[in-house]
Amino acid sequence: MNLTKSISLLFLILITSIATSQDVKFEAKVSKKKLGVNERLRIDFEMNKDGDNFVPPSFDGFTVVGGPNTSLMNSYVNGKKTYQKTYSYFLAPNKKGKLTIKQAKIEIEGEIYKTFPITVTVTNAVDRPNAPPGAADIADDNIHLIAEVSKTNPYLNEPVTVVYKLYVSREVGIDGNWREKQTPRYNDFWSQNIEIKGLNVQKTKYKGEDYRYVVLRKTVLYPQKSGKLKIEPLVLDVNVEVPSGRTDIFGRQLMTKVPKTVTAGSRTLNVKPLPEQGKPADYKGAVGNFSFSVTTSKTQLDATESLQATVEVSGKGNMNLFELPELTTPSSLEVYEPEHKENIRTTLSGMQGRVSDTYTIVPQYRGKYPLPPISFSYFDLATETYKRITSDEIIIDVLKGPTAGSNSTTNDTVDSPKQTVTTSGSFAFIKTTSNWVTISEEKFFKSNLFWALLLIPFLCIPIAIILRKKQDARNADVKGMKRRKADKLAKKYLSEAKKNLGQKETFYESLERALHNYLKAKLHIETSDFNKEKIQGLLIDLKVESAIVSDFISILESCELARYTPITQVTMENDYEKAAKTISSIDKQMR
Amino acid sequence: MRAILLLFTVCFSVLSFSQNDALFDEANKLYNDKKYAESIEKYESILNSGIHSAELYHNLGNANYKLNNTAQSIYYFEKALLLNPDDSEIKNNLRYAEKMRIDAIDKVPKVGFARIVNNIVNTFSADSWAKIAISGVILFVLLFLMYHFAYATTRKRIAFIVSAISLIVACFSVFMAFQKERLHKKDNPAIVFAQESRVKAEANKSSEEVFRLHEGTKVQVLETYEDWSKIKLSDDSTGWILSADIQLLRSF
Repeated sequence: MNLTKSISLLFLILITSIATSQDVKFEAKVSKKKLGVNERLRIDFEMNKDGDNFVPPSFDGFTVVGGPNTSLMNSYVNGKKTYQKTYSYFLAPNKKGKLTIKQAKIEIEGEIYKTFPITVTVTNAVDRPNAPPGAADIADDNIHLIAEVSKTNPYLNEPVTVVYKLYVSREVGIDGNWREKQTPRYNDFWSQNIEIKGLNVQKTKYKGEDYRYVVLRKTVLYPQKSGKLKIEPLVLDVNVEVPSGRTDIFGRQLMTKVPKTVTAGSRTLNVKPLPEQGKPADYKGAVGNFSFSVTTSKTQLDATESLQATVEVSGKGNMNLFELPELTTPSSLEVYEPEHKENIRTTLSGMQGRVSDTYTIVPQYRGKYPLPPISFSYFDLATETYKRITSDEIIIDVLKGPTAGSNSTTNDTVDSPKQTVTTSGSFAFIKTTSNWVTISEEKFFKSNLFWALLLIPFLCIPIAIILRKKQDARNADVKGMKRRKADKLAKKYLSEAKKNLGQKETFYESLERALHNYLKAKLHIETSDFNKEKIQGLLIDLKVESAIVSDFISILESCELARYTPITQVTMENDYEKAAKTISSIDKQMR
Repeated sequence: MRAILLLFTVCFSVLSFSQNDALFDEANKLYNDKKYAESIEKYESILNSGIHSAELYHNLGNANYKLNNTAQSIYYFEKALLLNPDDSEIKNNLRYAEKMRIDAIDKVPKVGFARIVNNIVNTFSADSWAKIAISGVILFVLLFLMYHFAYATTRKRIAFIVSAISLIVACFSVFMAFQKERLHKKDNPAIVFAQESRVKAEANKSSEEVFRLHEGTKVQVLETYEDWSKIKLSDDSTGWILSADIQLLRSF
């Protein structure tokens, strides 16, 4: 039975302990769970029943800078008594990191109670340690300066707007006495401030709370460099009116003025460079959406009158950040420096307007002067491509005036007499007749014919001299000359006979005929009065030696004879030789 | 057979010449009716048949001037002047055409001895110099032989002097012909046809730009390398230009 008794006792104790534990509270509370290493921490051990033998924890990692302070509180609410006893310690952390405050013990009504261990995070030192959540803190939490950037990764020269807004919560107010402590400088940007007329307070929500805001400053930026560009912060000095928590005698909140510096923080833009692909050669940095035109005030005029040519770009984009394309003109036109005009408005969406260059042109001479087409290229942000506009060619027709001489470029004095001499007249008409030449003409110089004609005459000199010398030599020996002549004669007359050598009949016939012919030619004898005596007489008259004359006669005789007698080949040859010899001898001696 | 063929070709060429005259007249008529583009087509069809003339180039230059084609107009007038350097009408019209061009390039004047030599060299073409040389040689040979064979002293003397002079003339002319040919080879003018062309320091696209030329400017081509031509301007500045941007005047 002892067992049942002890079980029932245990049960009883358990029940009572549950009952008492519902009543008794012993807790540890820290003022903050996260603090800087230079801050202090308050820990309260609270109980709702008076206890004895309070044992604080060892506070490892902390130094106890104050305490223990004991406080007692008794209160009666609706007839119910509340008791509270607190032991407080002020602790300073010794190191950074997570520190654990161990359990504290107390004995209440004979029972020992323990608190839960508490972990506290100790961080780096903070600026204002342990400042009371005073006016400055309230101001901190209720005033925000925000820089709103329209685009964080724009293209080079793409407009970016930065709007600075000051958010003020309903709890605090600011007076109008604010000033810019640091005006942001936009390095590597072309910037334009947009004037704001008056501060217009508007309502908005900021992080779920009701706020009022004013737009302080609007700026349009054109990034001039690619890469990461930093926008420096705007820093403002403002006086913040913070409720002090006290009231005046009328019950109105007393406000304390807190000077405060608010900053928008620096922002970084990632500026994309313009694509290299498809970049036109004449691209000069225009980004936006433009139209382009080249116009002249007139196209027909007289020399020394003037006309204006205008190169104009209008549209939206970085209007004054690119060069206008230059007007190219024929060098023979007198062109003055262009007059540059800009008419640009800057709005939040960027610059827009028109930019123009006006050239004054004064033609000096008659003629046609084309102004060649000019092209203008820009990068279109809408399509992210390059676009090109090309103007039309303009022809300036100068109707009246002097015509330029060949020295027009060097001689500028129009009135000089030289000029008037060289002016040769108007544009000549086409030619009406033509002398055709084949295109592929052969060159005479250095051709073979040329070399031949050049050198052969020189060869002629020695040849001519040699020939002349030979002739002289021949002329010199008269005998030889005569013989050669006679031989030549004999050959001439006896050629037929020689052909027939061997055929007796024909040979002698032709031989006889040859002799007759010879005489006919030499002595002018007619064939009719042809007899030996006459021949003999004539030949002797011509002082031919009688021996030769008789030889000649004998040949003639043998010719007659031969017709009736057999003749050998050898005799024929002998006769032929003899005839030849005789003819030449006669010829030699004849005068 | 050969004779027939020869006869045929002769007949044909005569026929084609007369045909070209007809084409020329037609083109001139079109020009006069202010149908310049059509007339250019006709003129060019004559060129394509393998013949040309200063007059044809002059008319082509005129038609192109009327159409405001600066480069073509200057090109054809310059060509006409190559065939007929002394025609005042062509010179006059070339001046008109040159006023349309953009670039003004100073001329570096040739001075002193070089100019005199060049002037003498340029008085005749190489072929004419060659012909003068040949007649000089022939005259020299004849007179030398005359001198050699003559008996009378005065005749001999005159023949000798004249032959010596003609030999000198012949030698001089041959020298001049060579000089002329050398100048001719060096002289390779071209006209810029591109609206605007960037002249580079080296024969590649990435190199530095030296200057820019516009259409109608006359340049001298010094040498060519791949797609590029080295050019020299009349103010003696040089650079490399894309060969496609220019047209040689001598490529008939």
